[in-house]
Amino acid sequence: MTQLDDFRRAIREADPHLSRFDPLPRIICLDDFDRGMCGWTQLVGNYEDTLDAMLPGYAQHSHAMLSTLPNWDFGSHGGVDGSYALKIATRPKKGAQNVAIKRLTFRKPGPIRLEAYFTFKPEASELQLSETDIRSFGFLYDLQIGDTSGPGDRVMPHLRFLNAQDGKHIQRWQFKRRTTPIKPIGTAGKTITHYHLAPDDWEDLPGGEQRLCYNEIPTKVNWHYLRFDFDLAAMQATRFQVNDRVFAMDGFDCIRIPAMKNLWCMLNLAFFAETDTDKRAFAYLDSVCLSGEF
Amino acid sequence: MLPENLTAVVARNEIWTGSSATEPYEAGWAREAIVFVRALKQPKGALPKARIEISADGMHWCAEGSEFPLPAAQDAVTFQRLAHFGNFLRVAATLPDGAEITVLVTLHLKA
Repeated sequence: MTQLDDFRRAIREADPHLSRFDPLPRIICLDDFDRGMCGWTQLVGNYEDTLDAMLPGYAQHSHAMLSTLPNWDFGSHGGVDGSYALKIATRPKKGAQNVAIKRLTFRKPGPIRLEAYFTFKPEASELQLSETDIRSFGFLYDLQIGDTSGPGDRVMPHLRFLNAQDGKHIQRWQFKRRTTPIKPIGTAGKTITHYHLAPDDWEDLPGGEQRLCYNEIPTKVNWHYLRFDFDLAAMQATRFQVNDRVFAMDGFDCIRIPAMKNLWCMLNLAFFAETDTDKRAFAYLDSVCLSGEF
Repeated sequence: MLPENLTAVVARNEIWTGSSATEPYEAGWAREAIVFVRALKQPKGALPKARIEISADGMHWCAEGSEFPLPAAQDAVTFQRLAHFGNFLRVAATLPDGAEITVLVTLHLKA
Protein backbone atom coordinates (compact mmCIF):
# COMPACT_ATOMS: atom_id res chain seq x y z
CA MET A 1 0.00 0.00 0.00
CA THR A 2 1.34 3.38 -1.01
CA GLN A 3 0.69 6.60 0.82
CA LEU A 4 -1.74 7.50 -1.96
CA ASP A 5 -3.64 4.25 -1.38
CA ASP A 6 -3.85 5.02 2.35
CA PHE A 7 -5.05 8.55 1.67
CA ARG A 8 -7.63 7.38 -0.86
CA ARG A 9 -8.93 4.74 1.53
CA ALA A 10 -9.21 7.22 4.39
CA ILE A 11 -11.27 9.60 2.23
CA ARG A 12 -13.55 6.81 1.02
CA GLU A 13 -14.10 5.36 4.46
CA ALA A 14 -15.12 8.79 5.73
CA ASP A 15 -17.80 9.03 3.03
CA PRO A 16 -20.91 7.04 4.02
CA HIS A 17 -21.85 6.54 0.35
CA LEU A 18 -18.53 4.90 -0.43
CA SER A 19 -17.61 3.37 2.88
CA ARG A 20 -19.76 0.29 2.28
CA PHE A 21 -17.90 -0.47 -0.96
CA ASP A 22 -14.31 -1.60 -1.50
CA PRO A 23 -13.65 -0.07 -4.91
CA LEU A 24 -10.48 -0.28 -6.96
CA PRO A 25 -8.61 3.06 -7.27
CA ARG A 26 -10.76 4.54 -10.04
CA ILE A 27 -14.54 4.64 -9.59
CA ILE A 28 -16.15 4.28 -13.02
CA CYS A 29 -19.65 4.76 -11.62
CA LEU A 30 -21.34 4.79 -8.24
CA ASP A 31 -25.02 4.32 -8.93
CA ASP A 32 -27.27 5.00 -5.99
CA PHE A 33 -30.85 4.74 -7.20
CA ASP A 34 -31.92 7.41 -4.76
CA ARG A 35 -30.44 9.68 -7.46
CA GLY A 36 -32.51 8.24 -10.30
CA MET A 37 -32.01 5.59 -12.97
CA CYS A 38 -28.24 6.32 -13.19
CA GLY A 39 -27.96 5.08 -16.77
CA TRP A 40 -29.65 1.70 -16.26
CA THR A 41 -32.11 0.83 -18.99
CA GLN A 42 -33.89 -2.11 -20.54
CA LEU A 43 -32.16 -4.74 -22.63
CA VAL A 44 -33.91 -4.57 -25.97
CA GLY A 45 -33.23 -7.31 -28.49
CA ASN A 46 -31.83 -6.74 -31.96
CA TYR A 47 -34.21 -6.31 -34.92
CA GLU A 48 -34.32 -5.01 -38.46
CA ASP A 49 -37.39 -3.83 -40.43
CA THR A 50 -39.84 -5.21 -37.85
CA LEU A 51 -39.94 -5.75 -34.10
CA ASP A 52 -41.32 -9.21 -34.90
CA ALA A 53 -37.69 -10.19 -35.68
CA MET A 54 -36.74 -9.84 -31.99
CA LEU A 55 -36.14 -13.13 -30.20
CA PRO A 56 -38.90 -13.93 -27.65
CA GLY A 57 -36.37 -13.89 -24.82
CA TYR A 58 -35.76 -10.19 -25.46
CA ALA A 59 -39.32 -9.30 -26.49
CA GLN A 60 -40.48 -10.05 -22.93
CA HIS A 61 -38.14 -7.46 -21.39
CA SER A 62 -39.52 -4.21 -20.01
CA HIS A 63 -38.21 -1.12 -18.29
CA ALA A 64 -36.72 -1.29 -14.79
CA MET A 65 -38.27 1.11 -12.33
CA LEU A 66 -37.45 3.19 -9.28
CA SER A 67 -39.15 1.43 -6.39
CA THR A 68 -39.60 1.99 -2.67
CA LEU A 69 -40.32 -1.77 -2.38
CA PRO A 70 -43.94 -1.10 -1.44
CA ASN A 71 -45.88 -3.94 0.17
CA TRP A 72 -49.59 -4.39 0.68
CA ASP A 73 -49.19 -5.36 4.34
CA PHE A 74 -46.64 -2.89 5.72
CA GLY A 75 -45.98 -0.29 3.02
CA SER A 76 -42.68 0.87 1.61
CA HIS A 77 -39.59 -1.06 2.61
CA GLY A 78 -37.03 1.39 1.21
CA GLY A 79 -33.39 0.81 0.35
CA VAL A 80 -30.17 0.39 2.33
CA ASP A 81 -29.84 4.10 3.03
CA GLY A 82 -32.63 5.85 1.17
CA SER A 83 -36.10 5.46 -0.24
CA TYR A 84 -35.41 4.01 -3.70
CA ALA A 85 -33.95 0.96 -5.37
CA LEU A 86 -33.88 -0.16 -8.99
CA LYS A 87 -36.56 -2.83 -9.48
CA ILE A 88 -36.36 -5.47 -12.22
CA ALA A 89 -39.74 -7.20 -12.54
CA THR A 90 -40.58 -10.21 -14.67
CA ARG A 91 -43.96 -10.97 -16.14
CA PRO A 92 -46.18 -13.43 -14.21
CA LYS A 93 -45.31 -16.50 -16.28
CA LYS A 94 -43.09 -19.42 -15.30
CA GLY A 95 -39.61 -18.94 -16.76
CA ALA A 96 -40.13 -15.23 -17.54
CA GLN A 97 -37.03 -13.08 -17.26
CA ASN A 98 -36.22 -9.39 -17.20
CA VAL A 99 -32.93 -7.51 -17.38
CA ALA A 100 -31.57 -4.05 -16.56
CA ILE A 101 -28.41 -3.03 -18.38
CA LYS A 102 -25.81 -0.27 -18.37
CA ARG A 103 -23.73 0.22 -21.52
CA LEU A 104 -20.18 1.56 -21.28
CA THR A 105 -16.79 1.08 -22.92
CA PHE A 106 -13.47 0.65 -21.14
CA ARG A 107 -10.33 2.71 -21.48
CA LYS A 108 -7.80 0.25 -20.07
CA PRO A 109 -7.93 -3.53 -20.29
CA GLY A 110 -7.15 -4.31 -16.66
CA PRO A 111 -8.87 -5.28 -13.42
CA ILE A 112 -12.43 -4.09 -12.83
CA ARG A 113 -14.67 -4.67 -9.81
CA LEU A 114 -18.44 -4.81 -9.69
CA GLU A 115 -20.07 -4.33 -6.28
CA ALA A 116 -23.77 -4.14 -5.52
CA TYR A 117 -26.32 -4.35 -2.74
CA PHE A 118 -29.17 -6.51 -3.99
CA THR A 119 -32.21 -8.47 -2.91
CA PHE A 120 -35.07 -10.35 -4.58
CA LYS A 121 -38.55 -11.60 -3.80
CA PRO A 122 -41.71 -12.79 -5.54
CA GLU A 123 -44.82 -10.69 -5.92
CA ALA A 124 -46.70 -11.20 -2.66
CA SER A 125 -49.91 -12.41 -4.29
CA GLU A 126 -50.38 -15.29 -1.83
CA LEU A 127 -50.26 -15.48 1.95
CA GLN A 128 -47.43 -17.98 1.74
CA LEU A 129 -43.68 -17.64 2.25
CA SER A 130 -43.20 -18.33 -1.49
CA GLU A 131 -39.45 -18.88 -1.07
CA THR A 132 -39.28 -21.15 -4.13
CA ASP A 133 -41.19 -18.85 -6.50
CA ILE A 134 -38.09 -16.99 -7.69
CA ARG A 135 -35.98 -19.09 -10.02
CA SER A 136 -32.91 -16.90 -10.13
CA PHE A 137 -31.21 -13.58 -9.64
CA GLY A 138 -28.05 -12.92 -11.58
CA PHE A 139 -25.69 -10.58 -13.35
CA LEU A 140 -23.43 -10.51 -16.36
CA TYR A 141 -20.85 -8.53 -18.29
CA ASP A 142 -20.80 -8.24 -22.07
CA LEU A 143 -17.21 -7.44 -23.06
CA GLN A 144 -15.05 -7.21 -26.12
CA ILE A 145 -11.38 -6.33 -26.58
CA GLY A 146 -10.21 -3.08 -28.23
CA ASP A 147 -10.04 -2.88 -32.01
CA THR A 148 -6.22 -3.03 -32.08
CA SER A 149 -5.79 -5.45 -29.17
CA GLY A 150 -6.75 -8.63 -30.97
CA PRO A 151 -7.10 -11.33 -31.76
CA GLY A 152 -9.73 -11.89 -29.12
CA ASP A 153 -13.29 -12.75 -28.35
CA ARG A 154 -16.52 -11.23 -27.22
CA VAL A 155 -16.64 -12.45 -23.63
CA MET A 156 -19.77 -12.68 -21.49
CA PRO A 157 -19.26 -13.74 -17.87
CA HIS A 158 -22.60 -14.79 -16.36
CA LEU A 159 -23.40 -15.70 -12.76
CA ARG A 160 -26.81 -16.48 -11.32
CA PHE A 161 -28.09 -17.53 -7.93
CA LEU A 162 -30.35 -20.46 -8.79
CA ASN A 163 -32.79 -20.04 -5.95
CA ALA A 164 -35.31 -22.67 -7.03
CA GLN A 165 -36.25 -24.85 -9.95
CA ASP A 166 -39.63 -26.55 -10.36
CA GLY A 167 -40.46 -25.85 -6.74
CA LYS A 168 -37.22 -27.23 -5.29
CA HIS A 169 -35.22 -24.80 -3.17
CA ILE A 170 -31.69 -25.09 -4.62
CA GLN A 171 -29.75 -21.95 -3.54
CA ARG A 172 -26.60 -22.31 -5.58
CA TRP A 173 -24.46 -20.01 -7.76
CA GLN A 174 -24.12 -21.06 -11.39
CA PHE A 175 -22.24 -19.83 -14.46
CA LYS A 176 -22.60 -20.23 -18.20
CA ARG A 177 -20.23 -21.04 -21.05
CA ARG A 178 -22.67 -21.43 -23.93
CA THR A 179 -25.23 -19.19 -25.61
CA THR A 180 -27.84 -20.02 -28.24
CA PRO A 181 -26.75 -20.35 -31.90
CA ILE A 182 -26.00 -16.99 -33.51
CA LYS A 183 -28.80 -16.03 -35.89
CA PRO A 184 -28.72 -13.33 -38.60
CA ILE A 185 -31.39 -10.62 -38.35
CA GLY A 186 -32.93 -8.97 -41.40
CA THR A 187 -31.38 -8.70 -44.85
CA ALA A 188 -28.72 -5.98 -44.57
CA GLY A 189 -26.11 -8.36 -43.17
CA LYS A 190 -25.36 -5.99 -40.28
CA THR A 191 -27.18 -7.51 -37.34
CA ILE A 192 -27.14 -10.83 -35.55
CA THR A 193 -28.76 -12.08 -32.38
CA HIS A 194 -28.43 -14.81 -29.75
CA TYR A 195 -30.10 -15.28 -26.36
CA HIS A 196 -27.40 -15.65 -23.77
CA LEU A 197 -29.91 -15.89 -20.91
CA ALA A 198 -31.60 -18.98 -22.31
CA PRO A 199 -32.46 -21.41 -19.48
CA ASP A 200 -30.12 -24.11 -20.79
CA ASP A 201 -26.41 -24.64 -20.21
CA TRP A 202 -26.06 -23.24 -16.71
CA GLU A 203 -23.35 -25.09 -14.75
CA ASP A 204 -22.84 -25.28 -10.99
CA LEU A 205 -20.07 -23.08 -9.63
CA PRO A 206 -17.91 -25.50 -7.61
CA GLY A 207 -18.57 -24.84 -3.92
CA GLY A 208 -21.29 -22.39 -4.95
CA GLU A 209 -24.02 -23.47 -2.53
CA GLN A 210 -25.12 -20.55 -0.37
CA ARG A 211 -28.04 -20.13 1.99
CA LEU A 212 -29.12 -16.50 1.76
CA CYS A 213 -31.30 -14.69 4.27
CA TYR A 214 -34.86 -14.67 2.90
CA ASN A 215 -36.94 -13.90 5.99
CA GLU A 216 -40.34 -15.25 7.05
CA ILE A 217 -43.05 -13.74 4.83
CA PRO A 218 -43.04 -12.79 1.13
CA THR A 219 -43.00 -9.06 1.74
CA LYS A 220 -39.83 -8.87 3.86
CA VAL A 221 -36.41 -8.64 2.29
CA ASN A 222 -32.84 -8.21 3.47
CA TRP A 223 -30.10 -6.58 1.39
CA HIS A 224 -27.08 -8.63 0.28
CA TYR A 225 -23.61 -7.53 -0.81
CA LEU A 226 -21.91 -8.91 -3.90
CA ARG A 227 -18.51 -8.29 -5.42
CA PHE A 228 -17.21 -9.69 -8.71
CA ASP A 229 -13.62 -9.05 -9.81
CA PHE A 230 -12.69 -9.48 -13.45
CA ASP A 231 -9.50 -8.87 -15.41
CA LEU A 232 -10.18 -7.31 -18.83
CA ALA A 233 -6.60 -8.08 -19.94
CA ALA A 234 -6.81 -11.82 -19.29
CA MET A 235 -10.62 -11.85 -19.75
CA GLN A 236 -10.87 -14.01 -16.62
CA ALA A 237 -12.78 -13.72 -13.36
CA THR A 238 -10.52 -13.38 -10.35
CA ARG A 239 -12.80 -13.22 -7.30
CA PHE A 240 -16.47 -13.54 -6.38
CA GLN A 241 -17.96 -12.71 -3.01
CA VAL A 242 -21.51 -12.61 -1.68
CA ASN A 243 -21.96 -11.44 1.90
CA ASP A 244 -19.47 -13.41 4.04
CA ARG A 245 -18.63 -16.03 1.40
CA VAL A 246 -15.77 -15.87 -1.13
CA PHE A 247 -16.07 -18.45 -3.88
CA ALA A 248 -13.19 -20.14 -5.67
CA MET A 249 -13.30 -19.18 -9.34
CA ASP A 250 -10.95 -21.89 -10.68
CA GLY A 251 -13.87 -23.73 -12.27
CA PHE A 252 -15.57 -20.60 -13.64
CA ASP A 253 -15.55 -19.59 -17.27
CA CYS A 254 -17.46 -17.24 -19.56
CA ILE A 255 -19.45 -17.41 -22.77
CA ARG A 256 -16.84 -16.74 -25.46
CA ILE A 257 -17.92 -16.03 -29.03
CA PRO A 258 -16.02 -14.46 -31.95
CA ALA A 259 -15.41 -10.72 -31.69
CA MET A 260 -17.95 -8.63 -33.57
CA LYS A 261 -17.14 -5.77 -35.93
CA ASN A 262 -19.03 -3.15 -33.95
CA LEU A 263 -18.41 -3.86 -30.26
CA TRP A 264 -14.80 -2.83 -29.56
CA CYS A 265 -13.97 -2.02 -25.92
CA MET A 266 -17.56 -2.79 -24.96
CA LEU A 267 -18.21 -2.88 -21.22
CA ASN A 268 -21.86 -3.68 -20.58
CA LEU A 269 -23.12 -4.79 -17.20
CA ALA A 270 -26.53 -6.21 -16.49
CA PHE A 271 -28.61 -7.69 -13.70
CA PHE A 272 -31.54 -10.03 -14.24
CA ALA A 273 -34.42 -11.83 -12.53
CA GLU A 274 -36.24 -15.00 -13.48
CA THR A 275 -39.44 -16.46 -12.07
CA ASP A 276 -40.13 -20.14 -11.45
CA THR A 277 -43.93 -19.78 -11.20
CA ASP A 278 -46.74 -17.81 -12.82
CA LYS A 279 -45.95 -15.01 -10.41
CA ARG A 280 -43.78 -11.92 -10.97
CA ALA A 281 -40.19 -12.11 -9.72
CA PHE A 282 -38.67 -8.88 -8.43
CA ALA A 283 -34.94 -8.22 -8.20
CA TYR A 284 -33.85 -5.00 -6.52
CA LEU A 285 -30.56 -3.12 -6.62
CA ASP A 286 -30.00 -0.54 -3.91
CA SER A 287 -26.71 0.60 -5.39
CA VAL A 288 -23.98 -0.50 -7.77
CA CYS A 289 -20.31 0.50 -7.76
CA LEU A 290 -18.08 -0.27 -10.74
CA SER A 291 -14.40 0.50 -10.31
CA GLY A 292 -11.18 -0.16 -12.15
CA GLU A 293 -7.41 -0.29 -11.80
CA PHE A 294 -6.22 2.53 -14.05
CA MET B 1 -29.27 18.21 -10.08
CA LEU B 2 -32.10 18.38 -12.61
CA PRO B 3 -35.32 16.59 -11.61
CA GLU B 4 -35.64 12.98 -12.76
CA ASN B 5 -37.25 12.58 -16.18
CA LEU B 6 -37.78 9.10 -17.57
CA THR B 7 -39.08 7.60 -20.79
CA ALA B 8 -40.13 4.04 -19.96
CA VAL B 9 -41.33 1.69 -22.68
CA VAL B 10 -43.76 -0.52 -20.79
CA ALA B 11 -45.25 -2.50 -23.71
CA ARG B 12 -43.47 -3.07 -27.01
CA ASN B 13 -45.04 -4.95 -29.90
CA GLU B 14 -47.66 -6.51 -27.63
CA ILE B 15 -50.88 -7.77 -29.15
CA TRP B 16 -53.90 -6.71 -27.13
CA THR B 17 -57.13 -8.70 -27.35
CA GLY B 18 -59.83 -9.14 -24.71
CA SER B 19 -58.80 -7.80 -21.29
CA SER B 20 -55.31 -6.38 -21.72
CA ALA B 21 -53.04 -4.16 -19.66
CA THR B 22 -49.45 -3.04 -19.37
CA GLU B 23 -47.33 -4.54 -16.62
CA PRO B 24 -47.49 -2.65 -13.29
CA TYR B 25 -45.08 0.28 -13.25
CA GLU B 26 -43.94 2.09 -10.11
CA ALA B 27 -43.66 5.82 -10.59
CA GLY B 28 -44.27 7.23 -7.11
CA TRP B 29 -41.33 9.60 -7.56
CA ALA B 30 -43.03 11.29 -10.54
CA ARG B 31 -45.43 14.20 -10.15
CA GLU B 32 -46.73 13.93 -13.68
CA ALA B 33 -46.92 11.48 -16.53
CA ILE B 34 -47.97 11.30 -20.14
CA VAL B 35 -48.92 7.93 -21.52
CA PHE B 36 -48.44 7.50 -25.28
CA VAL B 37 -49.93 4.57 -27.17
CA ARG B 38 -48.88 3.90 -30.78
CA ALA B 39 -50.40 1.20 -33.00
CA LEU B 40 -47.53 -0.72 -34.59
CA LYS B 41 -49.84 -2.52 -37.02
CA GLN B 42 -53.24 -1.75 -38.51
CA PRO B 43 -55.76 -2.40 -35.68
CA LYS B 44 -58.68 -4.73 -36.26
CA GLY B 45 -62.30 -4.36 -35.21
CA ALA B 46 -64.02 -1.79 -33.02
CA LEU B 47 -61.54 -0.33 -30.56
CA PRO B 48 -62.70 0.65 -27.06
CA LYS B 49 -61.18 3.49 -25.06
CA ALA B 50 -58.12 2.74 -22.98
CA ARG B 51 -58.24 3.57 -19.29
CA ILE B 52 -55.66 4.49 -16.68
CA GLU B 53 -55.56 2.29 -13.58
CA ILE B 54 -53.83 2.86 -10.27
CA SER B 55 -53.03 0.50 -7.41
CA ALA B 56 -51.77 0.46 -3.85
CA ASP B 57 -49.81 -2.75 -4.30
CA GLY B 58 -49.49 -3.54 -8.01
CA MET B 59 -52.00 -6.38 -7.64
CA HIS B 60 -55.39 -4.77 -6.91
CA TRP B 61 -56.37 -2.11 -9.45
CA CYS B 62 -58.81 0.80 -9.59
CA ALA B 63 -59.87 2.83 -12.61
CA GLU B 64 -58.28 6.25 -12.11
CA GLY B 65 -61.02 7.90 -14.20
CA SER B 66 -58.99 8.94 -17.24
CA GLU B 67 -60.00 7.36 -20.54
CA PHE B 68 -58.57 8.02 -23.99
CA PRO B 69 -58.94 6.53 -27.47
CA LEU B 70 -56.71 3.74 -28.69
CA PRO B 71 -54.99 4.70 -31.98
CA ALA B 72 -57.22 3.77 -34.91
CA ALA B 73 -54.56 3.25 -37.60
CA GLN B 74 -51.03 1.93 -37.93
CA ASP B 75 -48.54 4.48 -36.53
CA ALA B 76 -51.30 6.66 -35.14
CA VAL B 77 -50.60 7.87 -31.60
CA THR B 78 -52.88 8.78 -28.73
CA PHE B 79 -51.98 10.06 -25.29
CA GLN B 80 -53.27 10.85 -21.84
CA ARG B 81 -51.88 13.38 -19.33
CA LEU B 82 -51.81 12.31 -15.69
CA ALA B 83 -51.02 13.71 -12.28
CA HIS B 84 -51.57 12.61 -8.68
CA PHE B 85 -51.54 8.89 -9.40
CA GLY B 86 -49.76 7.56 -6.31
CA ASN B 87 -47.25 4.88 -7.19
CA PHE B 88 -48.40 1.93 -9.34
CA LEU B 89 -49.68 2.84 -12.77
CA ARG B 90 -50.91 0.88 -15.79
CA VAL B 91 -52.87 1.29 -19.00
CA ALA B 92 -55.73 -1.16 -19.54
CA ALA B 93 -58.35 -1.81 -22.18
CA THR B 94 -61.12 -4.33 -22.66
CA LEU B 95 -61.38 -5.20 -26.34
CA PRO B 96 -64.54 -6.80 -27.75
CA ASP B 97 -64.45 -10.04 -29.72
CA GLY B 98 -62.70 -9.56 -33.05
CA ALA B 99 -60.82 -6.43 -32.00
CA GLU B 100 -57.03 -6.46 -31.85
CA ILE B 101 -54.28 -3.87 -31.60
CA THR B 102 -50.48 -4.22 -31.49
CA VAL B 103 -49.21 -1.51 -29.16
CA LEU B 104 -46.16 0.42 -28.15
CA VAL B 105 -46.92 2.01 -24.77
CA THR B 106 -44.54 4.61 -23.38
CA LEU B 107 -44.65 6.45 -20.06
CA HIS B 108 -43.03 9.88 -19.86
CA LEU B 109 -42.52 10.62 -16.20
CA LYS B 110 -41.27 13.78 -14.48
CA ALA B 111 -40.39 14.44 -10.85
